[in-house]
Amino acid sequence: MGTQLVEAVIDGVLTGGLYALMAAGLTLIFGMLEIINIAQGIFVLLGSYLSYALWAHAGIDPFLGLLVTIPILFVVGIGVEWAFMRRIGDRDRVSMSILVTYAVSLVIEGALDIAFGTTFVQLRPSYFARTWHVFGFYLEYIYVFGFVLAALLIAALYALMYRTRFGASLRAALQDRTAATLIGVNVKRVSTITFGIGVAVTAAGGMVFGATNDFSANSSTDLISRLLTIIVLGGLGSIGGAMGAAVFMLVLEDVVAVVWSPVWAPVIYFLVLLIVLSVRPQGLFGKVSTRAQ
Amino acid sequence: MAPQTSDHVSDRVAPALASTQPLLEFRGVCAGYGGADILHEVSFEVPEGGLTCVVGPNGAGKSTLLGTVSGVVRTTVGELVFRGERLKKATPRERLERGIVQVPQNHSLFREMTVRENVELGAFILKDRTIVRERYEQIAETIPIVAERAKDKAGSLSGGQQRLVEFARCLMLDPALVVLDEPSMGLDPHTRKIVFKTVRSLHRHGRTVLLVEQNARAGLRLATHGVVLENGRVRLAGSGREVLENPEIGALFLGGVVGASRPAGAPETPPGR
Repeated sequence: MGTQLVEAVIDGVLTGGLYALMAAGLTLIFGMLEIINIAQGIFVLLGSYLSYALWAHAGIDPFLGLLVTIPILFVVGIGVEWAFMRRIGDRDRVSMSILVTYAVSLVIEGALDIAFGTTFVQLRPSYFARTWHVFGFYLEYIYVFGFVLAALLIAALYALMYRTRFGASLRAALQDRTAATLIGVNVKRVSTITFGIGVAVTAAGGMVFGATNDFSANSSTDLISRLLTIIVLGGLGSIGGAMGAAVFMLVLEDVVAVVWSPVWAPVIYFLVLLIVLSVRPQGLFGKVSTRAQ
Repeated sequence: MAPQTSDHVSDRVAPALASTQPLLEFRGVCAGYGGADILHEVSFEVPEGGLTCVVGPNGAGKSTLLGTVSGVVRTTVGELVFRGERLKKATPRERLERGIVQVPQNHSLFREMTVRENVELGAFILKDRTIVRERYEQIAETIPIVAERAKDKAGSLSGGQQRLVEFARCLMLDPALVVLDEPSMGLDPHTRKIVFKTVRSLHRHGRTVLLVEQNARAGLRLATHGVVLENGRVRLAGSGREVLENPEIGALFLGGVVGASRPAGAPETPPGR
């Protein structure tokens, strides 16, 4: 049992890194645009299918394929923001965004069903299933590579936010849109690019998700439920909070599966959400929202 | 020269201001939000090197007026002319590039960023980092709180300190026109004095200041020129003293007759109030 428990924790941390990356994109979009992007789940699946298509039909390694899929998802994000998000007014903004992104999600899901069918597929390059033997534990390449990839991309995201001029404008607009406008930040442009970045990270998330799970376009429902739970627990708009919550929740789920039962793992996952929200509505790591308009 | 009073003088430029070279002109400006105009044919001039104070009751359209200057509120009719050029289609960024900088009414510092980051962001549109560093050093010498609290988060500063850092930030572009929206709002009397002193200092150092101030007496005492706005129209424009001493305006907006017309025995409102 002890070994299984440690294994569950390691699995939870490795998978949590991946969810942290996907949730970081989602929470960044919420923080910047004040919209809940229900389509984030289907964007992840779009990333999975794009990697799958490149690997299955062109023989391109999924990691190498990210050089193509990340820019594609970035452009898709920019397009969706331009076409739909910027037309949502200030009134009932959050609820309208849920409806609009849900509609976007359904359209993409339908397109994926038509293009790839409804049967489950999986990305399985042969080396993904190889393992490293470390301190008596077997770690699959794909989980380790996926974790490293997520860590690198999160570091890149932080570097972008804290080391670049664009990042300064993004952080300024996150805190006070009017004040940011008055110092010369083009808030609309920053919002569009932020949406693009938030969607682009799903390319990497989707590739690793597709390599570790059988998937179909329908898988997006479960995925978005988990991602929303993570960003709510992490405190809406907080990237650091999303990372902490992602690792915490994935470790918790894996540990419950080992200690109790795999059937109870998802139940506990969402039960924790309800309990935390009832005692700490701003989430585990969040602060009470203070953004000015 | 006697001040001009009228309910609808908006189509005229006040004679008291016309004698000085205008930096900014409002020419029959109408503006508002969501299709409804709050400003109605507003016309007056902001003379170069002057300190123009706009006063008026709540809802008169003072902040909307400043919004048309910085570009966050669009004019529907009329135009703003800055240094002889029309501003109508200029974005907020283009207005910054021309030297128009606004400090908004509510505390506008980025609370999660340090004081230094906030001040440097005042020069966001400049790409030359050397100039940004040099300006920062100069401003940190002039406004000590910037150097003293450089590494602290802006949100940890008191209201008055935040105001001073906002002033510091607006100076990073070496602006031709500083637009201040109710800088004394929400401050205690002592801090208010410091803020007004800083506003006076900005003006004495040769900057043109356009100030909106709820604290009408204090604002007009600082001002070389005064404008009274009522229901989105210019009620009166003249020198600061003329507006301050106008009996009708005093009775309407300044809590009674002021200056020479003050009744014997009536207590003078303390300075800075």
